[in-house]
Amino acid sequence: MSVIYSLKNVVKSRVLDGAGFRLQVPSVEIKAQENVALVGHSGCGKSTLLDMLALALHPDAADEFNLSPQGDDTFNIDTLWKKKKQNVLAKIRKQHIGYVLQQGGLLPYLTVRENIELPRKLMNMPEDDSTHSIARVMGIHRQLDKLPGLLSAGERQRVAFTRAISHRPSILLADEPTASLDPITARKIMAVVMELVKGLKITMITASHDWAHVYKMDLRSLHQEAEVVENGNIYQSTFRD
Amino acid sequence: MNQFNKIISLSFRDYSHEWRMSGCFVLALASVLAPMMILFGLKFGIVSSMITGLIENPSNREIRAVGSGRYEQTWFDEYAGRKDIAFIIPKTRSLAATIQLKSDKAGRIYSTELFATAANDPLLKDLETKPQGFYQVILSDTIANKLNIEQGDRIDGSLVRQFKGKRERVHIDLQVIDVAPAHVMSRNVAFVSLDLLLATESFKDGRAVAELNWSGNVNTEALRVYPSFRMYARSIGNVEKLVNELEQEGINVKANIAEIKTVQSIDQNLSIIFWIIACVGAVGFSFSLGASLWANVDRKRKELSILRLVGFQGGKIILFPVLQSMYTGLLGWLLAVLIYLVAEQTINQLLAPNLEIEQVICYLLPQHFFWALGLTMFVAATAAILGGIRASRIEPSDGLRDI
Repeated sequence: MSVIYSLKNVVKSRVLDGAGFRLQVPSVEIKAQENVALVGHSGCGKSTLLDMLALALHPDAADEFNLSPQGDDTFNIDTLWKKKKQNVLAKIRKQHIGYVLQQGGLLPYLTVRENIELPRKLMNMPEDDSTHSIARVMGIHRQLDKLPGLLSAGERQRVAFTRAISHRPSILLADEPTASLDPITARKIMAVVMELVKGLKITMITASHDWAHVYKMDLRSLHQEAEVVENGNIYQSTFRD
Repeated sequence: MNQFNKIISLSFRDYSHEWRMSGCFVLALASVLAPMMILFGLKFGIVSSMITGLIENPSNREIRAVGSGRYEQTWFDEYAGRKDIAFIIPKTRSLAATIQLKSDKAGRIYSTELFATAANDPLLKDLETKPQGFYQVILSDTIANKLNIEQGDRIDGSLVRQFKGKRERVHIDLQVIDVAPAHVMSRNVAFVSLDLLLATESFKDGRAVAELNWSGNVNTEALRVYPSFRMYARSIGNVEKLVNELEQEGINVKANIAEIKTVQSIDQNLSIIFWIIACVGAVGFSFSLGASLWANVDRKRKELSILRLVGFQGGKIILFPVLQSMYTGLLGWLLAVLIYLVAEQTINQLLAPNLEIEQVICYLLPQHFFWALGLTMFVAATAAILGGIRASRIEPSDGLRDI
């Protein structure tokens, strides 16, 4: 399988409440159709790494940060950020990446159907019944004409997943997608998502603090190691296989 | 283009979805804009018409000759052609410019001054027709009341002279074509054509007037010379200069220069006060609108981040808050116009009984509404663009976690 993400010595620093935080990724490769879990307690930088993988956050430094969504086109993401090619990044994001946020991130003023179809419309994809069929698999086909505000948390996450894959991206990123759900609902949703991802040949990267859950699903996991460096001023978080 | 259309529809969907919030913005805008429009309506209505009244008041623009002089027709032609003079017409000797008026509806005969008039006479500016020929007359309100006559009535005018040792009287049948409003003239005055005024003088001087079959000496003077004139400057601003010029010509004149100065300083001071209020109002309006729209962009950061995440480009994202500000600007302006129109009608109708005819207290021209719209849209767009640029510069990931 071709390599989709290739990261070497990617660093991102942040200052939060006066305390330094540094995220490091020494060397990670993610192959097409892999199903990867970023595992670590909350606040360890999973979301930060995921945002960088979603091209929504720029790395401070990287020896290599390449994305080859189709296997042949390779984008040097680090260079695109440095050259401030925001629109190119937006275009790659639009075409190749679906992102599920912890709370769904649905637009409250659009119906479920409109939310789901938004990425498709942005790419001028024709209207077909794929929205409906994915919605049926996800179990939300009866909610299509409702506003997100009327849905339960679990239904909202199902919609968020449906939206994230409606335009057939090659990569699906999910940030704690089930954290606000009860374990039974969470497991049900993840099981359906896994099926879909496998069927649609999508590479999926999920951030989760729920270790037990991850092992049960038998995913490749990137683990986080934390240490305090530079005289206790910096909390350093490193992700590796 | 697709993204552009999409942003328009999304921004509108969001705007109507959050109708409570949007309504608050619209109300806030209208509540600042409407009073400003009413203030301007008052400035443009009652204050302007008061000032214009003072400025245009004929008595403030009149330049009166003191004593009598000798003015030929060429002198009048020269002055009549000047841009700073609104009206000039000869006067005859005041003793010769008198007529006895008698009406069937009144018992007495009244001695009445004759004023020559013509088109553009400031004293009669509200009257459509002016006396033509020998048989038409406009009466001052005072004499019309005494004679108990109205527009269209006929009256008898008579002139008396001592000619070759005999007392002679001629009669002339006059039609009252109009009555001048009371404020124009409080004395007994009949406005007539210059022809009739000159005929009267000729008769009193013992000369014949062929047109009216009045006998007398045949006119031997080659050129008519007038002893005086009735002159009005174009505006009160021209008066002082005209007075100086006439005095340099050796003509002794009088004008209300002190009152003119007062009127001019009232006009200037009121304008300054209004502009101060207007500027403070406009700045306050800009800040309040700008601040609320700026805050709105901040509030929208999360949703803007999501739009960026699904692939909208930064530049297009700016449109989202800008369009919403435009909606607020447009709706707020509409509401303000509505409030203003209601206030205008109320003010004008409440105070209508206290007004002179056709005067309005509160009034705006159509272009004033569009200026208000222009200012609103400009401020709205500027505030939102500034906020929007900030929103588009932040990375898409910022704001995502506030969900």
